[in-house]
Amino acid sequence: MAESVNFEDSRYFINRELSWLDFNDRILGEARDKKNKLFERLKFLSITASNLDEFYMVRVASLKDMIHAGYTKKDISGMKPEEQLKAINEKVHQFVDKQYSTYNRSLIPALLNSDIVSILTFSELNKEQKEYAERYFDEEVYPVLTPMAVDSSRPFPLIRNKTLNIAALTKKKNSKKEEVEFVTVQVPSVLSRIVPLPSEDEKKCVILLEEIIKKFIDKLFLNYDVICSYAYRIMRNADFEIEEEESADLLNEIKKQLKKRQWGEIIRLETDDKIDKELLKILKKELHIKEEDIYKINGPLDLTFLMKLYGMNGFEEYKDKKYIPQPVAGLDEDMDIFANISQGDILLHHPYVSFNPVVEFIRQASRDENVLAIKQTLYRVSGNSPIIASLAEAAENGKQVTVLVELKARFDEENNIIWAQKLEKAGCHVIYGLLGLKTHSKITLVVRREEDGIKRYVHLGTGNYNDATAKLYTDMGMFTCSNAIGEDATAVFNMISGYSEPAGWNRLSVAPYWLRDKFMYLIKREIRFAKEGKKAFITAKMNSLCDKKIIAALYEASAAGVKINLIIRGICCLVPGVKGVSENITVRSIVGTFLEHSRIFMFHNDGNVEIYMGSADWMPRNLDKRVEILFPVTDERLKSEVSHILEIQLADNVKAQVMDSNGKYSRVDRRGRKKICAQEYFCTEAVERTRQKSKESKERVWIPMEDIR
Amino acid sequence: MAYTLFAAIDVGSYELEMKIYQIEQKNRIRTIDTIRHVIEIGKDTYTTGKVSNKNIDELCRILKGFTDIIKEYRIKSYSAYATSAIREARNWEIILDRIRVSTGLEVKILSNSEQRFLGYKALSVSEEEFEKNIKDTTAIVDVGDGSIQISLFDKNVLVTTQNIKLGSLRIRELLYDVSDDRNRYCKLIEELVNNDIQTFKRIYLKDKTIKNIIAIGDYIGYIARIQKIMTRKKFLEQFETIKQKSIEYTSQKMSITEEQASLLLPSMLVYKKLIEETETENIWIPGVDACDGIVAEFGIMTGKLAFRHDLQEDIIYAARATAKKYRANKVHTELVESNAVKIFDAIKKYHGLGKRERLLLQISAILHDCGKYISMSSPAECAYNIIMSTEIIGLSHEEREVVANVVKYNTMEMPENGREKNSMLIVKLTAILRVANAMDRSHKQKIKEWKVNVKDNKLEFTIIGSENIILEQILFGKKTELFEEIFGLCPVLKQKVVH
Repeated sequence: MAESVNFEDSRYFINRELSWLDFNDRILGEARDKKNKLFERLKFLSITASNLDEFYMVRVASLKDMIHAGYTKKDISGMKPEEQLKAINEKVHQFVDKQYSTYNRSLIPALLNSDIVSILTFSELNKEQKEYAERYFDEEVYPVLTPMAVDSSRPFPLIRNKTLNIAALTKKKNSKKEEVEFVTVQVPSVLSRIVPLPSEDEKKCVILLEEIIKKFIDKLFLNYDVICSYAYRIMRNADFEIEEEESADLLNEIKKQLKKRQWGEIIRLETDDKIDKELLKILKKELHIKEEDIYKINGPLDLTFLMKLYGMNGFEEYKDKKYIPQPVAGLDEDMDIFANISQGDILLHHPYVSFNPVVEFIRQASRDENVLAIKQTLYRVSGNSPIIASLAEAAENGKQVTVLVELKARFDEENNIIWAQKLEKAGCHVIYGLLGLKTHSKITLVVRREEDGIKRYVHLGTGNYNDATAKLYTDMGMFTCSNAIGEDATAVFNMISGYSEPAGWNRLSVAPYWLRDKFMYLIKREIRFAKEGKKAFITAKMNSLCDKKIIAALYEASAAGVKINLIIRGICCLVPGVKGVSENITVRSIVGTFLEHSRIFMFHNDGNVEIYMGSADWMPRNLDKRVEILFPVTDERLKSEVSHILEIQLADNVKAQVMDSNGKYSRVDRRGRKKICAQEYFCTEAVERTRQKSKESKERVWIPMEDIR
Repeated sequence: MAYTLFAAIDVGSYELEMKIYQIEQKNRIRTIDTIRHVIEIGKDTYTTGKVSNKNIDELCRILKGFTDIIKEYRIKSYSAYATSAIREARNWEIILDRIRVSTGLEVKILSNSEQRFLGYKALSVSEEEFEKNIKDTTAIVDVGDGSIQISLFDKNVLVTTQNIKLGSLRIRELLYDVSDDRNRYCKLIEELVNNDIQTFKRIYLKDKTIKNIIAIGDYIGYIARIQKIMTRKKFLEQFETIKQKSIEYTSQKMSITEEQASLLLPSMLVYKKLIEETETENIWIPGVDACDGIVAEFGIMTGKLAFRHDLQEDIIYAARATAKKYRANKVHTELVESNAVKIFDAIKKYHGLGKRERLLLQISAILHDCGKYISMSSPAECAYNIIMSTEIIGLSHEEREVVANVVKYNTMEMPENGREKNSMLIVKLTAILRVANAMDRSHKQKIKEWKVNVKDNKLEFTIIGSENIILEQILFGKKTELFEEIFGLCPVLKQKVVH
């Protein structure tokens, strides 16, 4: 009996942190997958490392904060903060072991066996290489090292967050006393961590900078003997709370907090698994770190250097062929973008098609004499962004430019402040976020004066206005000049500018006030149809699902007979396939070359299918604490395109992993079915469309009218 | 380009609103942008008598933002009006000056009657519905922040319009202490309103009954989002729902702020009371606001919009209703009215006045005889006082003062150097009215048909007809001195006897 089930019961939920760790494990799976090319595997391993760093700085840090504050409330899966932390610790220790076994047992041997590059330890160097390393140390490294000793007169120095350091024990030369001294030196971040070495053959050899420093560290302490030296790295609590109520100037406050981030509580220590006991004891004491937060590692610390290795020139045969985003099929490049949009809504599916039309949209608007205003929300932009340049140019051309710059975009604050100030100087009206809300929506509005009136052009998207990540993240975008959406877009920017909310919305659903209700309404509507015995289904794709109310509504829908297919890349607190609760729900995750990032929601609506796209995940923070926009896709042509995209993703049997009723993910059983890798499929499809289009244009010929009789 | 952009700014008691309109051909108006900001300047005024410095600062800041938007759209024309909250503030001059200095905006204060008239202008934008709705006896009821305006239309004609100084914000401030006790709160408001409604009924609804109510005003518009046309029953049901529910619920349900929701109840109660006291069958809530009126006014003024429903006629009807109330001699008044405009039209070149002044002259003529109702010995002063205390819908306070003065000096000596504002206008209109009045000195309508033309320095009236006009001719000279002085034309009466 569906009525008797409590859909909010914690046993039907998975803890979000553990679910996230599973996601990182799926990425690690890609690093372990021999079907992937070697350098791609290195890249995936690097991603798991940088992901884990961020996870610690934000999620673990915030759990620690909760424990310090005596907060004992259980999460949706019924775990108290302490229990969560304990479970995370166990899982991360296992995970790190798996990371390094991948590195040591699979990737390093593969590199050694390859004919391209070897990452060597000092003992593996030949004579010539050793001499080179010593010269490199003397000439390049030595001058920038700052060793710091610790004794009664010199306190333990500040160790910077995420930096690589070397700790050593020294003993005065010729001293009879057994007394040892602790010293620490930072591996300089101004030098590349990967040091190329001379080699006899074609094959490149590299060594890591800390290896060289460890070897010659005694050169720093002339009157001392270095007894032992090991690398270590710390992670600090970096999740800062901005006291907005008290801070008049958000910009200054964030600058201040960025400085403070260096001083946060230390929540993780990584070091060599062979570290000297005495040395570890000192570190443990001085850094105030508990045993369970120490990670003893068999291999180089901080695997993110692998991304640098990946970025090095050459090795092309060991990387996937670089995909070049294709031109948008429905876009006629001989016409200006406004004329194009006027012919009908345009769908963009990045990175399969180029992000360039979006950059072009803003660039053309900045120079078009009939454009009155450009308004945009910016969350994370690329360094040297062409969009920023165009916005600045527009302001210089006398257009009203309003830009909401979200300063609170995590870890991007420093970057954001710089270009925000650049925009302000150019004469743009820059809004530095909204009090208490993070603006996550991705919307651009261009107001244009045309022959028969004011016309508004709008771009709405699921991803940031970042031309660099648009090559790596899968996102959806849409251009429209629909009057209804134009009016809503204007209202959104009026609200962002501090004016009152509009009397009502035409098409857009906006968080934090209206979006949750909208989703609940859409789910409830399917429930109603299912109960009436009609066909009812929901297909939703997003990055994370962890909102209790939404999940409970999905359970209720499943119990009522609504078929629900979820494509969720990351965290998923919902458990599918539980009898009487979620039998009608499937959950799959696609982890591939591109980061799945689009959010698409499709509701059957008794045959009148409705499709929405937007910036929000089904997470409490997206629905309640952020400005997010959900927009409908109404053009039939676009709707069928989007539903095709969902169909292919659901059919993926290469990169997709399916969650079972125990919350475990596993690869899809292909059982002789045709192999479909969604990301590859879309690449091929986009290339094919471009080819088709250029063929069509080549086939266009003049037809001479010879026979005039 | 075949359209005009226009910005209408309404500095209301509780909210600042700016709407950007695109006026297209064929009377089409499209709202391009709506910008609103909640600011309770009315609360200041109605409780302390003036707007606080803090609120003036915010007012200026928001209006500055509005001017940026005006610039953004490259708009050339705008109108900014302020209503009761500023009008009744002791420091209104300071407020307007601060706004002018910090934003460059010229904000004009509307008199109550102008403000109400804007409501009708807004209605006329949706004119088909408007005409359909005022066929039967219809009351346009406008419950504002500071007062209630009831205007009665009968067979498409404005019959009367009355103002009651009791608005939703005022009610809420008055009864703030008891607002938690919902039932008691409603009872008290009913009591408060009832007295005024009874008086209105007694005087103006003697032989008529209201069939329809058109509800316009600051808060009732939110109801329009639910339903625009309601039956009596439906409206009363709606009222009960809102009365039962908490402010928070209403605000969420209708997506309005709690502030706005708290003002909706007193506003609805006024309508409810009026519906109960009359035989109202239907309620139409068009959901128009002040800005819609401002753009209609702009459109009419600039000739970009033309409506079938003649709003100027409404003003004249309202004046006639007043004249009737004070038992003015109808035939005489009508003749003076037609004489006056005829002279006005004939000497356009000499007075250089426009359409609006012509209307003022016409209204002066209509009302010139109403003072005798009070006193035969000092009719001029009495007429002046009557006019100054009567709402003439559609006239600004300033214009009303002009009319009152013209009527006064029609029979009283004109002071040498008039110190009144608009003194030149008053003198010109008085001069014309005196001549027009002198032509029917006997009140016997002896001069009905006449022609007029300018010859040398003379304004020759050629009277057609055989009536004995000796009285008029003798007294004519005395009444034309001012005219001659002002226009340099000497009016003379000549009779062309037709046998």
